[in-house]
Amino acid sequence: MLRQILAWIAAVIAGVVLGLGSAWAALQFGGAAFSEQYGRWHFSRAAGSSAADPYTRAIIARAGLLALSAREAVYFSLSEDEQGRPLSESCVYELNGRPLDARWWSVTLYAADNYLAQNTDSAHSVDASRAGNNAPWSIRISPVRGDAQHWLSSREARRGFVVMLRVYNPQRDFRPSEATLPVLTTVSCAGDRP
Amino acid sequence: MNWGKYVLGALIVAVIVHFAAVFAVPRVLMNVAIERLGAAGVNAWHMSDRVTAASRQIVRPSPDFAYSACAFDLSQGPVTISAAAWRDYWSLSLYAANSDNFFVIDDREAHNGAEITLIQRGAAHPEGASLVAESPSTRGIALIRRLAPTPGTYDAARSVAAGDVCASVAQLRAQN
Repeated sequence: MLRQILAWIAAVIAGVVLGLGSAWAALQFGGAAFSEQYGRWHFSRAAGSSAADPYTRAIIARAGLLALSAREAVYFSLSEDEQGRPLSESCVYELNGRPLDARWWSVTLYAADNYLAQNTDSAHSVDASRAGNNAPWSIRISPVRGDAQHWLSSREARRGFVVMLRVYNPQRDFRPSEATLPVLTTVSCAGDRP
Repeated sequence: MNWGKYVLGALIVAVIVHFAAVFAVPRVLMNVAIERLGAAGVNAWHMSDRVTAASRQIVRPSPDFAYSACAFDLSQGPVTISAAAWRDYWSLSLYAANSDNFFVIDDREAHNGAEITLIQRGAAHPEGASLVAESPSTRGIALIRRLAPTPGTYDAARSVAAGDVCASVAQLRAQN
């Protein structure tokens, strides 16, 4: 009898652990399955909409609570370089973009914890009001500014940071694609051979 | 001893816990946000300081916006929510307790600012209200974003935000 009770307790504990573990894994690694990918950019059209399924809703709530619906703004995130390596503070990148079919855009750098990098460079974001939306633009992503006109500071962002593109009031014919979204290029990494 | 029933029991518990956890995550996170924003009082706007590396209330804040948030509570009846007009992009968005963005209005639709009467879904529409939004939940969050990428524009947005209203209709009537 006691053995049976213990076995049931063990079964329930195993079930709870398995349930929580699989839910965590689904939200942690399942993001890709519920988003579209353009090059290295991830995009979820379901952000903030009331039609979002429970998984998409949970994934977005973790990474972007209080996001706007797609009619108002669309969000793209980039966490890998062109070779699929996690973005790192020890590298210098260049992000080159062209005008987007939208009223306004911004590019913001977040550390792996989804908050701004813990630095005082006041260079967390570059937006269309500074870089313009009529001509191609270029942003340097690096721990020091150097001679960059537009700069995102990755100082204290460590490894695994995220670059987020916000596109506000996209026009009706705005169609994201690898060709229209900005392109990230690795310029150099500390430790590279010259 | 027959192990089959224990394995089956564990799997059934796992499936239930899995779906319950996925279902609960956005609601729990929203509840945390509502509690944090509402700590200084529900049905009232709170403008956050300019976003810096120290801003850690909501994930992925944008440093280009001046944010005002109001944790609304409809348990005492409708709530009036208004946003004063701003010279650049602004929007007023409403979020339900499950994190859904159920309403949004921006400066393209409301050049001179917006005034909304927020009611619980299914409740009677109050007389004389020009724009009524129905909330699927009793509690939630209203958020105003004003594009203000520089310290100067942020300060200007702060003065404009003084004209925003988030208050229960009953409370406003009692004041008048």
